[in-house]
Amino acid sequence: MGKLIQFILQNRLLILTISVLILGAGYTSYKQLPIDAFPDVSPNLVQVFTTTEGLAPEEVEKYVTYPVEVAMNGLPELAKIRSVSNFGLSVVNIYFKDGTDLYFARQLVNERIQEAREQIPEGFGEPEMGPISTGMGLILFYYLDDESGQYSLEELRSIQDWIVKFHLQTVPGVTEVLGIGGYEKQYQVNINPFSLLQYDITIQDVIEKIRNNNLNVGAQFIEKNSEEFIVRSVGLASGIEDIENIILKSESGTPVLLKEVANIEIGGAIRRGIQTYNGIGEVVSGMVVKLYGTNSSSVIGQVETKMDEINNILPKGIKIVPYYEQKTLVTACVKTVSNALLQGIILVVLILFIFMGSIRPSIVVAASIPFSVLFAMIGMNYFNISANLMSFGGLAIAIGMLVDGAIVVIENIEKVLKSSGHSKSKKQLISSAFLEVIKPVSFAIIIIIIVFLPLFTLQGVEGKTFRPLAYTIAIAMFGSLIYATIIAPVLSTFVLKIPKDLKLVKEIWLVKILNKFYTPIITHFVKNRTIAVSLAVFLILAGITIFPQLGSEFTPKLNEGSIVVRVSMAPSISLTESKKTTLAIEKRLMSIPEITSVVSRIGRGEVGAHADPVNSAEMYVILAEKGNWRPNLNQDGLESIIRETLDDVPGVLVNITQPIAMNVDELLEGIKAELAIKLFGDDLEILKAKADKISAVIREVPGADDVQVDQVSGTPQLLITINRQAIARYGINISDIQEIVHSSIGGEKVGEIFEGNRRFDITVRFEEKYRNSVEAISNIVVQSPRGINIPLSELVDIQEITGPRQITRENNQRFITIQCNVSDRDIGSFVEEGKSAIQEKVVLPPGYLLNWGGQFRLQQEANKRLAVVVPITLIIIFLLLFISFNSLKNSLLILLNIPLALVGGIVALWLTGQNLSVPSSVGFIALFGIALENGMVLLSYMNQLVKEGATKYEASIKGAQLRLRPVLMTALTTSLGLLPLLFASGAGSEVQRPLATVVVGGLFTSTILTLLVIPALFQWFSDEG
Amino acid sequence: MKKIILSTIIITALITFWVTKEMVNSHQNNYSIQEHESHSGHGDHEDHKENITEKVLFEFGAEVDIASSGILNKTIELPGEIQLDPDRLVHITPRFGGLVKEVYKQIGDKVNEGDLLAIIESNESLTVYELKSSINGIIIDMHFTKGETAQNSDNFFAIANLSKVWLNLSVYQKYLTQLKIGQTVNVLIKKDFPSISGEISFISPTIDEHTRTAIARVVLSNSYGWLRPGQFITGFVTISQSSCSIMIPKTAIETIKGLDVVFTKNEHGYEPINIKIGQQNSEFVEILSGLKIGQQYVKKGGFILKAQIAKSSFGGGHNH
Repeated sequence: MGKLIQFILQNRLLILTISVLILGAGYTSYKQLPIDAFPDVSPNLVQVFTTTEGLAPEEVEKYVTYPVEVAMNGLPELAKIRSVSNFGLSVVNIYFKDGTDLYFARQLVNERIQEAREQIPEGFGEPEMGPISTGMGLILFYYLDDESGQYSLEELRSIQDWIVKFHLQTVPGVTEVLGIGGYEKQYQVNINPFSLLQYDITIQDVIEKIRNNNLNVGAQFIEKNSEEFIVRSVGLASGIEDIENIILKSESGTPVLLKEVANIEIGGAIRRGIQTYNGIGEVVSGMVVKLYGTNSSSVIGQVETKMDEINNILPKGIKIVPYYEQKTLVTACVKTVSNALLQGIILVVLILFIFMGSIRPSIVVAASIPFSVLFAMIGMNYFNISANLMSFGGLAIAIGMLVDGAIVVIENIEKVLKSSGHSKSKKQLISSAFLEVIKPVSFAIIIIIIVFLPLFTLQGVEGKTFRPLAYTIAIAMFGSLIYATIIAPVLSTFVLKIPKDLKLVKEIWLVKILNKFYTPIITHFVKNRTIAVSLAVFLILAGITIFPQLGSEFTPKLNEGSIVVRVSMAPSISLTESKKTTLAIEKRLMSIPEITSVVSRIGRGEVGAHADPVNSAEMYVILAEKGNWRPNLNQDGLESIIRETLDDVPGVLVNITQPIAMNVDELLEGIKAELAIKLFGDDLEILKAKADKISAVIREVPGADDVQVDQVSGTPQLLITINRQAIARYGINISDIQEIVHSSIGGEKVGEIFEGNRRFDITVRFEEKYRNSVEAISNIVVQSPRGINIPLSELVDIQEITGPRQITRENNQRFITIQCNVSDRDIGSFVEEGKSAIQEKVVLPPGYLLNWGGQFRLQQEANKRLAVVVPITLIIIFLLLFISFNSLKNSLLILLNIPLALVGGIVALWLTGQNLSVPSSVGFIALFGIALENGMVLLSYMNQLVKEGATKYEASIKGAQLRLRPVLMTALTTSLGLLPLLFASGAGSEVQRPLATVVVGGLFTSTILTLLVIPALFQWFSDEG
Repeated sequence: MKKIILSTIIITALITFWVTKEMVNSHQNNYSIQEHESHSGHGDHEDHKENITEKVLFEFGAEVDIASSGILNKTIELPGEIQLDPDRLVHITPRFGGLVKEVYKQIGDKVNEGDLLAIIESNESLTVYELKSSINGIIIDMHFTKGETAQNSDNFFAIANLSKVWLNLSVYQKYLTQLKIGQTVNVLIKKDFPSISGEISFISPTIDEHTRTAIARVVLSNSYGWLRPGQFITGFVTISQSSCSIMIPKTAIETIKGLDVVFTKNEHGYEPINIKIGQQNSEFVEILSGLKIGQQYVKKGGFILKAQIAKSSFGGGHNH
């Protein structure tokens, strides 16, 4: 240490230059930091979507999901593959281990998709990867407002798809713009099957003829008078008339035109989702998806500028209206954190001035804040941590601690300078004062950094939420360590002065007053140690009594300031009915005065962000300015009003959530129950039956609560089974029938119409009344190779059955989940009992497998990890203490701070009516380190005094008196730095409040301990004598 | 003193360990509480079927009606073609070959019985004779030009009386058993115009070898002249007409656990009752049992009541 300080003081210019460089680098890093609202807690996953028009879940699974899954097996860093085969859509989620580079993962998946493509039968869809984004990527939703009322939903959708989307996609940082609502324009050829019969034409003929009569070709060039003429043959249909006049056949010179057998019109494509608003009707809408890793706030800003430009080129009367913007949230979070930071800094600086009594030392100490904060920026940039509520929250929490090291160092230097006069050179004085305190200070800061180690072992959502906080605190503390040990002494040589006349040095009034009160108390305590011991014991007992009264909760939800009402309707519901219900619910919501408008998405739009079926509606509730709310109404109150309003809506489940939370939940596994028993197997029927049996058995196990089996069936199907004998008699192939069923009922794309840049599909299908009922379908006529017309019902059996609504698979196997919660007993024993009960009562066919999981498993794992990591951390702290003091007793005395600090935290939670939660636990962990600092500084000083010849008694009292100022200062700066977080009410404050409460409370009791109990117990715990 | 140190150490260690453990355990309990909260929010919904008021029912698009009797028509749609009634088509040919001296009518002209069509000079007698129409009708074909020599059968006036035409319907095998002579057939010529109807007068006893269909013939009156022979037309055959003691729209039928039900009003509100379905067409069904005449039932939008009953089961597995 002596050499270090010599080197530092000899190379002051070098040190200053390096510091300035660090400040500069920190500022540049800060400018480059991506700004988000929250840390992104989405899992590391790549989604593969395949739309397969009109295919039922069973076929989707067989022909699409399975090949994709198989292709993805064995990828490096693969964690898990889960898939959902829905009607018309296959979604395969490929989860990678945390920390895998997303682009690397996508590249791997992309290579394998090529393999999968070859395995998927033609016409069954193309697997594609979802947008390069995460659950936080949906940054802006908008709808097109047509004030003129002149535009149809098809026209609006075309404007969305071909103007708005096109332009928004060019904004850097936007990876995708997904449209939903209205109708995608199509040229529909609606065939009258009777006309086909009468002209003796089949639907296949029609399809072929349209395909053959709609194309352009090139024919190289011809030379003409030394010039080249490119030859183009143009035969593209350009509109309805061209399609209408396609010749189907010619009967003795008389052409039969397409319009004779079909009605050609512009219509909307089949849709699996719509967008409605305000209970009025449908609307066309879009969502902007942000590229992974880009800066939310700058992307949003650019999108907004672009939207203004687009508004100018849109047809008159149409305008883009954003109805959800993540920007509001980002702004709110930035405001919360920057307010806390600013207020914290002001309070800290104020304390410094009051206790230091002069400007110069205060400046040297306060400079620790910008240095450490900018140092943290460099670290954040290096570790790819975005600026968000949690990472900057970490800085806000640390703000008071950042000056602690500098306080102790500068305070001592100043004291030495004031007391020693001009006997030695300034440098010498500084160096000796520095050496007095540097050891406990650096050890104390290192301990604070080390206590955050357990946070790095948190996994999943909590891990991703709190790790940025742990990172920034640790890095900033490291910065403050550098500042205190290297830069502060250098700055002192420039800024601090040796007072000219020692007699003129006045003691600071506040310290004087405090000492006046403190001296008699501490003398009393040192004399009557039993009081000190009983105080400590009393505090600990108080903590033990209060602790069981604390409630516990999960991480308090991050308040996004937006409300989404999620409505689940019956699984068999039609889009029409679902729209009707949604509109009625919207009308109800609109009757709440705080709600200015409601925009709902039913089902899914363009594939990429959502895979919801049509029985699910997500209603974005747009709220009035807080000022216009009914008095005393907050968001929670409003949510219960919404719940009440929707309470008697028949046949729906209502869930109130928030946009980002909802998206992230969707990407996560989605099992919220403590216990999830997964039954893996092949046959859906058996799975369902066995799952029902298992749930019955589990229900009987004492402690079982909310037992629920996944609802896997419930979608009505019209099953067409081909009668092989019947088709053999007529010589018809199965594929002939399949084709007719596919194209006449489902429709077939037969080409495209180009309108400038825009392209629209031409589809062929039967007129609606000839395909919309079982009778109509049974009357569809099939022509045999010999020209005999046979109604479909003579060739097939048509049944109405109930089929699966979706098929979920994990790691290549179908599964069904039985969820349950456990109340009033230990989960471990419940699982044991449940396992044996199932083994006894349920016989599983070979190949069927049970897997017990759920949140309890994750918790057990987390607990196991913490149970190892927390004691290890304590041992490391103890070792550091031991190294620092070289005394077992001293180290134990300091460790005594920990239980007392915990008591303070518990009491503070209890007094403020808060619960034990993940953030408050983080606060307790932080206390381990923060609480030790003061004790270390004090104890080391008392040891020094003893070394210099004082008795233990004298050392106890004198040490306590002299260290009162730094101890109070560090305690006050740390707690006042946190004060703004305690009282903040902005977005995201609810996560940091429990943390701040615990630290402030803990600091309070541990400071009492440091100031009263440690001096009193010093004699017992001192090594000498 | 050693004792105190020892006990301090023990207390410190115990408390540190205990508090740490409790903190850790507290995570575990979190989930159950969270879960309970979300459940208690919805748990009391399960018995709501009785609480749905009529007001709410109507708000969500349901309609109610009183069960009543009605006549149920069952129709099938068959492709057909208009043909001339062979009994109303005459071919007027010159009785003797000769020179056509004069032609008075053109294709498309309407003629009455006895109207002069042409004058021919007989080759044999070299006298002129008149060719006259033998029926009221329209000239649909003719092979007469002034100045040519007309032979016996080559040259003729085809005159058809189109006031009645035949509609030949192609009948697939599966309908043959349902078709009977005398059943009513309607044809639609134009939208928003009264349909023309007739009765099946003949069903072919054999089936065509090539098309595997039989012919059912309907004589249609053609007073407006819109039915043109050769024209393709669709016939709606009423294959049965039965009066039902209770007939309700199909929209009222819901299926719960594979059984057909109708929601009816009783003192508790609306509840499903099992019904037995008799005959049905595309719009209506006959109710054989379950529903009483005069009983109030949900005619449309009973789906929300069904969904309400099934509500407890569709919460899980929302999306994934």
